[in-house]
Amino acid sequence: MIETEGLTLRIEERVILDGVSFRVEKGEAAALVGPNGSGKSSLLRCLLGLVPFEGRARIGGRDVIEDPVGAKALTAYLPQRPAFGGGTAEEVLTFFAKIRGVARGRVSELLAEVGLSAHQKERARTFSGGMQQRLSLAIALLTDAPVLFLDEPTASLDRGGQSLFLDTVARFRKEGRTILFSSHRNDEIARLADRIIALDEGKMVKNASASSEPQAPVIPLRARGIS
Amino acid sequence: MLLAAREVREAVRSRWFVLVSAGFFLLSFALSSLGLSGAERSGLAGFDRTTASLLNLALLFVPLTTLLLGGLSVAGDLEDGWLEVLLAQPVRRSEVFAGKYAGLCAAMGAAVVLGFGGTGLIIGMTTGGNARVFLALVLLIVLLAATTLAVGVLLSVGFRSRARVVGAAFGAWLLFVYLCDLGTMGLVMARGLGPGQVFALAFLNPIEQARILGTLALSGGLDVLGPAGLFGLDLLGRTGLVAALAGGMLGTIALALSGGYLVFRKAIIS
Repeated sequence: MIETEGLTLRIEERVILDGVSFRVEKGEAAALVGPNGSGKSSLLRCLLGLVPFEGRARIGGRDVIEDPVGAKALTAYLPQRPAFGGGTAEEVLTFFAKIRGVARGRVSELLAEVGLSAHQKERARTFSGGMQQRLSLAIALLTDAPVLFLDEPTASLDRGGQSLFLDTVARFRKEGRTILFSSHRNDEIARLADRIIALDEGKMVKNASASSEPQAPVIPLRARGIS
Repeated sequence: MLLAAREVREAVRSRWFVLVSAGFFLLSFALSSLGLSGAERSGLAGFDRTTASLLNLALLFVPLTTLLLGGLSVAGDLEDGWLEVLLAQPVRRSEVFAGKYAGLCAAMGAAVVLGFGGTGLIIGMTTGGNARVFLALVLLIVLLAATTLAVGVLLSVGFRSRARVVGAAFGAWLLFVYLCDLGTMGLVMARGLGPGQVFALAFLNPIEQARILGTLALSGGLDVLGPAGLFGLDLLGRTGLVAALAGGMLGTIALALSGGYLVFRKAIIS
């Protein structure tokens, strides 16, 4: 479902990603792990066509460079840093619903689902980090996109938010959606991931089934401050 | 259309639209009132004199506003992370770029019409002046706003951060409003440029093009056109000169937006 071949990203002579190749099969949940600056977020941005890269990337057989709209139509994205402009929660979600061609009725359902019904008329930029992340999750849930990209999705969530998020992603897995998420949290990775893809300094250093090495640390040693 | 409509909503919500409209109205009304009170004493034709003053006001303040607004457009969204969220949706970069410019242009056009048009309406009703001339002036200011807004968007894409783009926008404004004139005068003195060359140089500066166009629309007297304008008038005739100058401004819009899009389509969004 997600496939990269020799994906390389250079920004101003600096190599951010160096020949990364992997496959995530349909219905699989893969965790991108690695220290800060290892290229996890950059890899997700490449897959969304947000940065120009060398090599190939396909989502559901659609080339990210040649058919960016077709590839992105198959995905939902939860960014690390939510941004909504100046609108209320309801307006923001309605805007994305229009872009995605989703019925307006779904907006209030989703706001209720992520626990923001009481705040739907409030400006999204005044929300706390956790509330913004919930709204981002609502945007990602707007469509039944078969592929989900989640960039450190629980980083700014409280316990309630984390629980909501983990339950939602677990539901997606049951529905057979394909998930690629970056995370630093071992409990999250252990609960959600079928596959671990580890990056270090832009290179892929591990690509294995999560169950194949159950005792091994899923975060590379350098990420834990051990080298 | 959806993206352009969102830009208009954001403009109204962020209050710049209200501030700019009110600013244009207050400045133009104050200037017109002063001009008219002087005209009553000296017996000059009040409405035409007022529109000429408004042209000079617009040539100063409209480019400053639009260069800054256009400059902050893409750079601001990039810094806030909005572009990342938006471009992760199934939309083309060309749609996002065109929607942003179209929305800003519509909001800025409305601000000009409200600000300068409001003044024109009041002065026209008071003095019974030539409404057609005033309408031409408002249309010219909208065209000037669209042109300098496109340049602002180009700067925004090129400089990518709010801090750098504000500096670049002020630099471009100084260049267009003051330095081009000084440079042309310097070249005339140092290199002995003829009127034809000065006329050609006017096509590098949209504000100079708007000044000549506005002067043609407002004044019957040829002495205020300047050497470049007079040369153009001799060469092309009145209709030809208007077409060439308006074409020059539209060409500047096309060039700035094409250049901006070429950078934007390959831009790193992070």
